[in-house]
Amino acid sequence: MTDVRLAARPRALSTGTVSGLWRRIAAARWSYLYVLPMLVLLLAFVIYPIIASLGYTFYRWDGIGEPGDFVGLANFSRVMTDGIFWGALRNTFFYVLLVVPIQLVLALALALVLNNRRLRLRTFYRTLFFLPVVTSAAVVGVVVQLLFSNFGDVVNDVLMSLGLTHEYIDWLGDPNFAMIIIIGVGIWHTLGYNLVYFLAGLQTIPDELYEAARLDGAGAFACFRHITVPLLRSVGVVIVLLSVIGSFQVFDLVQVLTNGGPYFATEVVNSYIYHLAFGGFSGSSVDRDVGLASAASFFYGLLLIVFAVVQALFLRALVRRRGGRA
Amino acid sequence: MPAIQLSRRQLLRAAAATGGAALLAGCGGSPEDAGPASGTSLAYWDWYVSQAPWVDNEIKLFQQANGKTTVKKTTQVTDKYLDLLALAFRSGTAPDVFLLPTKPKLEVHVGEGWLMPLDRWATAEWRSRFPDNSFVEGVNIFGGKVYSAPFSGLAPALQLYLHNGVFKEAGLTNPDGTVQIPKTWDDITRAAETITSKSGGKVFGLGFGNAQKGALPWLIELFCRGAGSPGGTQNVDYRTGRWTYGTDRNYADFLALLLDWKNRGFIYPNSMSISDEQARAFFSKGRFGMIVGGVWNQAPWEEAGFKDYSLMTLPSPTGTPQGYFYGSPGSYLLGISAKAKNPDQAWAWLDWFYGPAAGKRWVQGGYGLSVYPENNDPAGVTSPTFRQYVAMAGTALVGPVPAIRNPEIAKVEVAAVQPDLPDVAAGIYTGQLKDAPKALKELEDRLNGALSEAVAKARGQGLKVGMDDYVFADWDIAKPYTTKRG
Repeated sequence: MTDVRLAARPRALSTGTVSGLWRRIAAARWSYLYVLPMLVLLLAFVIYPIIASLGYTFYRWDGIGEPGDFVGLANFSRVMTDGIFWGALRNTFFYVLLVVPIQLVLALALALVLNNRRLRLRTFYRTLFFLPVVTSAAVVGVVVQLLFSNFGDVVNDVLMSLGLTHEYIDWLGDPNFAMIIIIGVGIWHTLGYNLVYFLAGLQTIPDELYEAARLDGAGAFACFRHITVPLLRSVGVVIVLLSVIGSFQVFDLVQVLTNGGPYFATEVVNSYIYHLAFGGFSGSSVDRDVGLASAASFFYGLLLIVFAVVQALFLRALVRRRGGRA
Repeated sequence: MPAIQLSRRQLLRAAAATGGAALLAGCGGSPEDAGPASGTSLAYWDWYVSQAPWVDNEIKLFQQANGKTTVKKTTQVTDKYLDLLALAFRSGTAPDVFLLPTKPKLEVHVGEGWLMPLDRWATAEWRSRFPDNSFVEGVNIFGGKVYSAPFSGLAPALQLYLHNGVFKEAGLTNPDGTVQIPKTWDDITRAAETITSKSGGKVFGLGFGNAQKGALPWLIELFCRGAGSPGGTQNVDYRTGRWTYGTDRNYADFLALLLDWKNRGFIYPNSMSISDEQARAFFSKGRFGMIVGGVWNQAPWEEAGFKDYSLMTLPSPTGTPQGYFYGSPGSYLLGISAKAKNPDQAWAWLDWFYGPAAGKRWVQGGYGLSVYPENNDPAGVTSPTFRQYVAMAGTALVGPVPAIRNPEIAKVEVAAVQPDLPDVAAGIYTGQLKDAPKALKELEDRLNGALSEAVAKARGQGLKVGMDDYVFADWDIAKPYTTKRG
């Protein structure tokens, strides 16, 4: 990077016509060129829709033609007083609170095992655990749905023969089990991501540290606690952050497995927004209202920003307190 | 045989040559694929899956009769049909002829300028081949212009299908060996109990597929109409102009009965999570003895070789239906895009689609009833099960149509409520809503509130409408009703 700057400076100064900012851009033009396609896509498919949908929040609009029924802030008011939205938010947090810690613990444990150089076929196992990640969530959902609808009876028969239950359970149609199934599938489906991240983090820890610790008489747990955990902390924070963001975006599994039902038991905010905007086959009970869906999206976004700020303040306070103790 | 060895460069050359050849072939096209030299190509959209054989055959016959016109059919997914159509109109790629979305009302699409008026072709003579009152302002006519026409005849929307094999296995047969057709709610309870107990719990009395949230409302619709609730799950009770989920005890009574069936193990346990398609397949395999569905079930079953079933409609507490299915004399199905490049050819296809001969093939194929009464002769139907359905035509009557009495009522846009009936029914069935009568009354209040608000808003916009427009106090629900023009 330093070399590039040094090389670019004499050329820029020799022209004497470009500003400092332009000079820096010109010096790193290849970097900008590489970033450009992604930037264009981001602007077209992320930034523009966000800005455009802000305008829709002030209209009651079914998505057909141009919006014309101006309702001011009424859509935000409706969302804030809608019990179904708050139920969906509660379900979303429930999903995140279960998926993130369970998945992280499992991913770390697996990463520790798969990082062992004495383990034979470890590349095969890594591939095996990463495979679900490259499978579409929608496909996973369809397969799981088919499994439960076709073989749910078999599971029930086994459970009943073991005396664990006395009646058939509709795994995806029972409000007591549907969310648990979605969480289980969610953990399995994206476990591979966190596994790979942890493996990458583990491979940055020098072996010498472990060797020195063992020479000092440290056992496996002591090595894990005093070497692995502290040196994984910075990577771990990023993994937690990515995992939380990913879990808050849960949608496709819910849509395919339960469509938010039964009676909103598995409705998460993203499926709630989708149902508001597009109705779906259950649309007989949902008015298509892109304006209301946009308002729900923005309100949810605001809540997540507040949540992120609180989380950041909490982490900062935690770090300060630890720093004070040290 | 010696192995053929290619260098990397040779391999790349070969791949480039093959790809280039394929590209050229793709650009050029084959003479067989080319359409008629100076022909017209029409884009046609629908959501018909089980009816596809009929549509394909009609396209073939139409093309044979209209030499140079080709119809290119695209069958879209049902629950995204409106979104896809809206996108197509926005991007200028709308089909020339298309099935009209059932929601929102046709008036909205006319207002958006999607549709071409058909008046220059749909002359008085053309319209005269349809039954009386087939063209109604506010239904398929707007501002005096015709935009579509009815296709199907009045027919029972839902039936209770019985698996003959399961019934026979359970001993539910008459002395002549035919299956006992249940008629009352108690008959169905007894049949479900017998099937479940005789099979040792391996086969269930009843099943449904509520994954798309539609099957529970079908059950309520079928049973409560039979018990004398004329609104079913679709409309207000036009005798009072109000929704009656909470005040008409049929709804709470039926849901209590349904819960009783569930608690006694008569209902297939996965019914809340499987789709209707899965439920139909499981029924045909004999996993349960009864299922509620429409005539659209029949063609796929028969194609799959399953014909051993019977059907009935409108079971009631007493055995005699107290209410019926009610239809409008005017309805709509197909329309022509306002942007159609070849409107005359588009009309020709629409006219063929609506023709009496096509309607006759529709009935003969077992897809439904035709708008032309002469086509609905059970004697002309070969399938015995479809013949049973055709013979049920009398359970569908013409009911009140507020838009005939006051066309302005068609402009009232009533907002849907949430939770609506599919949600509340699911909540009651799963036990999430413990107090069913209270939940039904709250639903009724929400719906009546939404209706009152919509009418008030319409009045505020200058429309001459009122809640009285929904009231037909002289309606005898056991007889066809003729709505007088306002």
